[in-house]
Amino acid sequence: MEKLIYAIVQPLTDVYAINLLLSGIPGVSETNLYALFYNDIAVVVSDGVILNEFVKKEMAIDFARVIESLSQQLTLLPVRFDSLLPSDAEATRLLSQNYTAFRNNLDNVKNKFEFGLKVLWDYEKGIEKVKINMESANENTNNCITSSSIHANYLLKKIKENKLDNALRDYIEQLKKEFVHDIAIINPEYNFNKMITANLILDGVFLVDKSKKYEFIQAVGNFKKNHTELHFLLTGPWPPYSFVVCPMV
Amino acid sequence: MIQENIIDKSKDFTLLELLDRVLNKGVVISGDIVISIADVDLVYVGLKILLTSVETMQQRQLMMVKPNRNISN
Amino acid sequence: MNESKILLNSVPIDDYGQAIEKMGNSVSSRINATPENADHGLAKLVITLVELIRKLMEKQAIRRVEGGTLSDNEIERLGETLMKLEMKMDEMKKLFNLTDDDLNLNLGPLGDLM
Repeated sequence: MEKLIYAIVQPLTDVYAINLLLSGIPGVSETNLYALFYNDIAVVVSDGVILNEFVKKEMAIDFARVIESLSQQLTLLPVRFDSLLPSDAEATRLLSQNYTAFRNNLDNVKNKFEFGLKVLWDYEKGIEKVKINMESANENTNNCITSSSIHANYLLKKIKENKLDNALRDYIEQLKKEFVHDIAIINPEYNFNKMITANLILDGVFLVDKSKKYEFIQAVGNFKKNHTELHFLLTGPWPPYSFVVCPMV
Repeated sequence: MIQENIIDKSKDFTLLELLDRVLNKGVVISGDIVISIADVDLVYVGLKILLTSVETMQQRQLMMVKPNRNISN
Repeated sequence: MNESKILLNSVPIDDYGQAIEKMGNSVSSRINATPENADHGLAKLVITLVELIRKLMEKQAIRRVEGGTLSDNEIERLGETLMKLEMKMDEMKKLFNLTDDDLNLNLGPLGDLM
């Protein structure tokens, strides 16, 4: 029977305790959760539900709920939804073959939460500001094109767009630097995704010590105060989804 | 009315945050079939990443080519 | 469960739009994968790679022009070529119903393609 894999966990010392915990959490599609052990780590699985080409959003949410509940009690590495292994034996083999990597990752995320921070802006207003800054920085931009044909103008337009792109990138880099500086004392591991839309300019994840939760929220609040033109969305605490650096197994 | 809307949108947003994590982050476990097709790790890793981010269908099909799965196509 | 995940939110309602759409796309392409849109995925992959090469050419051309060593005639021809290329790409994107946002690959630990 195929197994749906939920998470790699550092089990409670007591096998009875972990089984009790798992018995209180329903798996995806009302399946039963159980743990398979290897040394001092374990993998939480259930019987594989049929994940054919129409995976329901609800299943993914159910799956996330399991990981959320587990993470309240255990240190864990979430496994990507939709991961099936053919048998219990294969699941145990997964642990034994990747023991060191799992172990290191578990140590890394122990007693830590993940937070997500998205910074949005009004593109029209924001880009106007970037443009003004850029133009004041370098006046004489385009004397390399003298002709004024359609094609030369096209190139000129491209050059200007390119300059603006660079200025925007510099602005965002500056913003990142500033924020990272502000949270230096909390010293979280972090990662920024690249700008993904015109109005979403920062998209970061932060691995924060549980004891520093409020300090982190406070730091974001302060940063926000200094940037009234930007909008902030801080979410969390999440299980450490974005901080698993296992080799693909 | 407007208030309701705000709540809905931010709820959407966090639901997406959640789904993004569950679907795109975390430990990646492959089907054994995939490994046996490409036993060179790097090639396999690259392939898997492309498949999961561009379109998961191919990957699902690979996953489904397991002996105990019936597929019609 | 989800509401409680919001710790701080100052985003005005209208500004969610694009971001939601973009995230929604990345999620639904995984959730609603069907044999029909598997084709679409392949077209997307191919066009993405072509677009990447086009952008690299454009960047390189801009650098040359900014260098100021090209003659008017060369600039003319370069501009014409790039303009036509971009128009062709726009046609292709329209044909396969792709937006600029679609034409980016998340290369996992390597970051985004463009």
